[in-house]
Amino acid sequence: MSVSETLLIFVAIPLAAVLVITALSRIGRSGGTGSKRYRPGRPFDFTPVWFLSSPEHLTESARTALPEGADARELTSGEIETISAPARAGVTGGASDRW
Amino acid sequence: MTAGKSVATTDLPESRTAHPAGRPDVLNGPFTTRQLLRIDDALRVADQSTGLIFTVYVGPLDEPIREHAQRLHAGLVDPARAVLIALSPNQRVLEVVTGSEARKRIPDRDARLAALSMVAAFGGGDLAGGIITGLDQLATRAGRAA
Repeated sequence: MSVSETLLIFVAIPLAAVLVITALSRIGRSGGTGSKRYRPGRPFDFTPVWFLSSPEHLTESARTALPEGADARELTSGEIETISAPARAGVTGGASDRW
Repeated sequence: MTAGKSVATTDLPESRTAHPAGRPDVLNGPFTTRQLLRIDDALRVADQSTGLIFTVYVGPLDEPIREHAQRLHAGLVDPARAVLIALSPNQRVLEVVTGSEARKRIPDRDARLAALSMVAAFGGGDLAGGIITGLDQLATRAGRAA
């Protein structure tokens, strides 16, 4: 075998195979669901969603609970009092947990 | 989503128009189409069998987290009969808020139990699975509509 033949078989062919596999895995990642996967502890970028069985269950004020624009403003301590007071009066129950 | 019975509302109204290509905004959320259908189904079954209103919010929650979840809950039309499951994957917190009527059907102890199994699924990275089991558990505990 000449040098050029050796190079072709032992370098060019494996290199071509590696490139094909890399390209396929790139395509698979961008098209598949892999990018959406949530892994605890890693930042997860998504649009917030609120599921209801029917839209009329949501009041008009809640629809625009957040003003147009990005983040919700921070509450001052006074506002927390006024907002959470009726909730306390209505005795909501439930549970809290973290993971 | 099936037949428009169920909706997913985003917090930011202007982001709804961000995709003129006809791709619904909810698909930019944390779930795939198949998962969305399963959640939709679980919500509908839970609502119909119990007569309560179940809602699921997935998104950031501001501090204080419990108060934010209660504010979301208070924004529903009939908060007394509503059950809100609010979770923030990035903050890794879960809040279950039950209204005064719903609380009689789902005691806090059972809500805690459902929260525990949801958190177990979330910790494994399975958001949709956790939501569906949680809804199922809460609906089972609430029982049939009177």
